[in-house]
Amino acid sequence: MKHGFLKYGFLVVALVAALAPVYWMFTISLKSEVDHFAFPPPWFTFTPTLEHYYDAFVTRSFGQYLITSAIVAVVSTLFALVLGTLAAYALARFRLPYDLDRRLSLWILSTRMFPAIVTAVPLFLMMRDLTLLDTKASLIIVYTSFNLPFVVWMMRGFFDEVPRDLEEAALVDGDSRLGALVRVVLPLVAPGLAATAVFCLIVSWNEFLFALVLTQTDASMTLPVGIAGRVTQYEIKWGVMSAAGAVAIVPILVFAMAMQKYLVRGLSLGAVKE
Amino acid sequence: MGRRVLLRSSWLPYLLIAPALAVLLALSIYPLIYSITVSLQVGEAWGFGNFTRLASDNFFLTAMAHTFVYAAAALTCEFLLGLGLALLLNGQIRGRGLFRATLLVPMMLPPVVAAVVWRLMLNPNFGAVNGTLKQIGIDTESLTWTASPGLAMLSVIAVDVWQWTPFVFLVLLAGLQAIPQEPYEAALIDGSNRWQTFRHVTLPLLKPAILIVLLLRTMDLLRVFDQIFILTEGGPGFATETISLYIYRTAFRFFDFGYAAAMSFVLLALTNVISVVYIRFLKHETRIS
Repeated sequence: MKHGFLKYGFLVVALVAALAPVYWMFTISLKSEVDHFAFPPPWFTFTPTLEHYYDAFVTRSFGQYLITSAIVAVVSTLFALVLGTLAAYALARFRLPYDLDRRLSLWILSTRMFPAIVTAVPLFLMMRDLTLLDTKASLIIVYTSFNLPFVVWMMRGFFDEVPRDLEEAALVDGDSRLGALVRVVLPLVAPGLAATAVFCLIVSWNEFLFALVLTQTDASMTLPVGIAGRVTQYEIKWGVMSAAGAVAIVPILVFAMAMQKYLVRGLSLGAVKE
Repeated sequence: MGRRVLLRSSWLPYLLIAPALAVLLALSIYPLIYSITVSLQVGEAWGFGNFTRLASDNFFLTAMAHTFVYAAAALTCEFLLGLGLALLLNGQIRGRGLFRATLLVPMMLPPVVAAVVWRLMLNPNFGAVNGTLKQIGIDTESLTWTASPGLAMLSVIAVDVWQWTPFVFLVLLAGLQAIPQEPYEAALIDGSNRWQTFRHVTLPLLKPAILIVLLLRTMDLLRVFDQIFILTEGGPGFATETISLYIYRTAFRFFDFGYAAAMSFVLLALTNVISVVYIRFLKHETRIS
């Protein structure tokens, strides 16, 4: 009994530690400026206001950043899914000479392991040469390339779990290889495909370094860069920053909760299955 | 051999792989090659000047030291806390799903937002941490967190631990739940106590999951950028400047791309060596188990 009490005590502490800081940001986004500087810190009692949300998304450009973030995340995810799924299917189902299928898979995975800053410098120079700096296109291109290894690796795992007999039956029935992929296999891996897509969306949505390096103006800035811009200026607008942060979190949390089942698998690049 | 039977057409797999491969070659491999040529240029001339400069650059050496301190401290805390939580939640516990879902919140946040959250928490004058401490009677005069050279490193490490312990916890919990019951029953019959069971049953069987999570965390910790950039920008002074931040400063504040590229190869080599070591261990583990 005493032991169980200790156990739950520890867990409650962990929960409070995990949530309190995020909760605090939400309260800041809803408090008027007077309450930001109040002592003792008003954790629960304050008069909520939406002025910071209005300020951030109507008066300032955060609405635009939000739209840019969404466009970049969705388009790069679609590209990565199409390219990655096709490659993953080939790597899962065909045996290539010289063990090429296995070697290619490992090589593709290894490109994912490059520290971002290592490719940020040359990619900045390349985008400058191509006059793509400060465009959404540059971010879409870069995000596609770093989501791609992830898609290949995840989808290869999901394809491996589909029994081959089903495809063989479709092939015997006269379906083409791609026909069998689209009509028989894809529906079976649909949950995995959805989870993979959500992961790509989250990664692109959260990405900061490339967006910081490759964009400069409001027209192509994503939400994280916009938020960071407010922080490093001399006068920190706490309310605006928190409101933008709160909005940036919401879609991520919804998505993450929706695909909890595949979370561990995705986060460990398919290494740990639940 | 016999597993992959359906392969009559020989050109189809190549056709399916080609587009993805082309994208990766253009955007991962070509940039590396490009980066090599940039790093080998000093002004107009070619040479190893950018690489020889590294050995005598105190900023570089300090940034490397910071990176190791940061990675080692954060990894240790995250692992111990994550393992503890996973062991706790692996047993019979009411409301486990809720606990689990809630603990996910920190790690799903964009790192930029996590850093913003903690700037609000740690502000010396108006932050919730000092405010709450003051309220219960603790003197917060000297607790300036990210603004003090002494506490800044501790603060950024703590934020990383806050954000990524849930990840370690999740992977280890999944690993624990994949362990079958039989070895535990055998240990029970042998009369092993709790510690012996943990030491000789749980730990060996959990080792692959442990290695994977340590590998992934180590890679991320060595390249840390976002949170520190927002929380301290490497400061105060250079107290929290890690290697990624120094590379960023060199390239995008001083526009010394050659030197930045040279440093980034050191980081790349380092992460490669470390991941190879981990993977060696991992292969060894999966073979004997």
